[in-house]
Amino acid sequence: MDRREFLRLTVISGVGLFLPCNMSSFFRTADASENTRLVVAKGESPSKITRAAIDAFGGIKHFIGRGDIVVIKPNIGWDRLPEHAANTNPEVVAEVVRLCFEAGAKKVKVFDRSVNDPRRCYVQSGIAESAKALGAEVKYVDDRKFKEMKLNGQVLKTWPLYTEIFEADKVINIPIAKHHGLAKITMAMKNWMGVMGGSRRQIHQKLDQSLVDISLAIKPTLTVLDAVRILVANGPQGGSLADVRRLNTVIVGMDQVAVDAFGATLFGMKGSDIGYIRIAAEAGLGTMDLSKINIKRITV
Amino acid sequence: MQNLRRATQGIFLLIFVFLFLQTESKGADRLGYPVKLFLDFDPLIFITTILSAHTVVKALCFSLIVMIATAILGRVFCGWVCPLGTLNHIMGSLKKRRSDTMNRDWYRVKYYILIFLVVSSLFTLQIVGIMDPISLLIRSLSISVYPLFSYTIRSVFDTIYDLHPAGIVDISESIYDLLKKGILSFNQPFFNQGVFIGLIFFIILGLNLLERRFWCRYLCPLGALLGILSRYSLLKRSVSEGCNECGSCASVCQGSASPDKREDWKSAECLYCWNCENVCPQDTVRFGFFKKGESADIDLGRRRMVTAMLSGALAVPLLRTTPLSKSNISSPKLIRPPGALEEKEFLKRCVKCGECMKVCITNGLQPTFLEAGIEGIWSPVLVPVIGYCEFRCTLCGQVCPTGAIKELEIKEKKEVKIGLAMIDKSRCLPYAHATPCIVCEEVCPTPKKAIWFESAKVKNRLGMETVIQQPRVDLELCIGCGICETKCPVKSRPAIYVTSIGESRSKQNQLLLS
Repeated sequence: MDRREFLRLTVISGVGLFLPCNMSSFFRTADASENTRLVVAKGESPSKITRAAIDAFGGIKHFIGRGDIVVIKPNIGWDRLPEHAANTNPEVVAEVVRLCFEAGAKKVKVFDRSVNDPRRCYVQSGIAESAKALGAEVKYVDDRKFKEMKLNGQVLKTWPLYTEIFEADKVINIPIAKHHGLAKITMAMKNWMGVMGGSRRQIHQKLDQSLVDISLAIKPTLTVLDAVRILVANGPQGGSLADVRRLNTVIVGMDQVAVDAFGATLFGMKGSDIGYIRIAAEAGLGTMDLSKINIKRITV
Repeated sequence: MQNLRRATQGIFLLIFVFLFLQTESKGADRLGYPVKLFLDFDPLIFITTILSAHTVVKALCFSLIVMIATAILGRVFCGWVCPLGTLNHIMGSLKKRRSDTMNRDWYRVKYYILIFLVVSSLFTLQIVGIMDPISLLIRSLSISVYPLFSYTIRSVFDTIYDLHPAGIVDISESIYDLLKKGILSFNQPFFNQGVFIGLIFFIILGLNLLERRFWCRYLCPLGALLGILSRYSLLKRSVSEGCNECGSCASVCQGSASPDKREDWKSAECLYCWNCENVCPQDTVRFGFFKKGESADIDLGRRRMVTAMLSGALAVPLLRTTPLSKSNISSPKLIRPPGALEEKEFLKRCVKCGECMKVCITNGLQPTFLEAGIEGIWSPVLVPVIGYCEFRCTLCGQVCPTGAIKELEIKEKKEVKIGLAMIDKSRCLPYAHATPCIVCEEVCPTPKKAIWFESAKVKNRLGMETVIQQPRVDLELCIGCGICETKCPVKSRPAIYVTSIGESRSKQNQLLLS
């Protein structure tokens, strides 16, 4: 996708967002089975609950087509082990990779712009190994592939973003639910910081609005929130097992705002307690009122 | 024999380059290759470390093999193994003209250098790394040649990528990918003094055009040491009666051994390159385990030797009478890598080989210039503006050949303080400009964060009150890794910065009452 087409799509989807609320939600739910807006799966095995959740959400074939190039965006930000709950669970990532290939994906790319040394992050998180073993392309972020893109957001007018996200046929966001000093918690929308180039640390000055600006520009096909382990303090990188809670949960949805709003409840908060979720809901990116959506809970 | 020698040189050079390229993280906790192997086999480092630090470094005992081999076979290490010797050899072959004989007695210089270095190490001054060929080569490659090489290759492929000529980019990118996997560094390295260290190295290579193996003949202290050890070597050169002193061998000799003059033959200067045997038109030269062998003694001259010794001894107070030697003074910028010994002990061991800087995952370890005095020139210092110390990385200790940087377990490493971070409130966004920013706290790697927030009510220009989180450093928890300084958005001069105070290795350089 070139810049011109990206802009065209941005405008079209921007128009879409101005449609009446009910109507846009009608479009969104049309894809998922039985009007289910979120699936929450619980169980011991991270890979089984991931599969079960996506199956219950309509099945991977609903989202990924034969020959698709799929980008999977986990959080691989930190030089931490899976048990520290700083990066997305490698088994969850692997299961999504497996599902994509089962659905006939031509290529599955997995990457993140790490904060710590990328080599250590990719290896220590366990993600590189498990995704590569299944045939995914796991490459480090290439600085040359960031292109300045028009966002026309409230705060971010333009920003260098990773072109592979926009060149892919499908994008699956797989964040992990964690504590964060400024945003309070980080989940799906904040995970897009991993495709931001340049001096992304500056966005902390107006973090909530910036996260919404960027989330409006990226249209994930699916969001899989990893809450197998969550980090409840000293986030986003943690390091102490005392700050980790094992919830054995995976949340699947198409609406990033709803996924994040549900994620907030895992930390004893509501979506409206989190600045960027509130702003995103106001901007029409999704629904944060969980009482208004159909949540399917399953146990595996 | 000559071809066998060439093949051996090639193999050792390849092994050397391979190990050099492997001196880089792949993301695992260990490197997986014995990357400092050539240093382990270096007898000069072995001996001077024993003298200066009074310790026998286990890994360096490999160098006994080189010493024994030299005692039996002579300086085969120089002629067959040494990677710098091989590079000099290759460069020397570019010089076509017959070597000048006028420089011949300069060969003594290297012995004086050796004496100087050994005597100064006897008085605890370890500066052998400046001249030791293996240290010199690894340092020059790490700091200068490899960054230069990497930069060139990257520029070429980036230019093709930017121009995007149809059809070519796919090919160039797949070649680039291969190069990245095989021989390019993960990130482009940048080093202070790359030019300085590189120039010295290129001058050494260039001297081969003046005289082949100039460095090996006249300057190399390791060559001198091996020359002394080879005095009673069993592998000898003999010239039979048929020699008509035509002088053919003199022009091909890689050392300063005077192969053409019988009474002047210096076995200690012979590199066993076998060139003289090969070139002799009368076929009179043989190498073998002969009983009898004549060799001229190397006369260093008593006065000159004494001068070299005295200079070595005097260098110690000369270099040590700097304010840095006062116990109450520490350089704030001298942030040593984690596991580094107390400064005096550290300097007694560090041979400035640059392995730690090569392997440093963030490029933060840089060669010092005068921050640690002349004695500590080119020793490693962490410059957080360039790169921080990765919390769970222990590579620098793994590659240090002399234990100047202790090898730490990850668990130990996480507790070692290399300095402390302080906040510059006049630049920090939440303090000086009432603007939210939590980057230092976010990246702080200690499990319980060493940076915490104090919520403060501040007024903006219009008098409106807002609550802002202001970062504070917990000096008990801070380990001085410097990631806060590296990632601070106030880029030109970070609003949080690390200095060496509080470093675990020092008793004096402390702040907190404990």
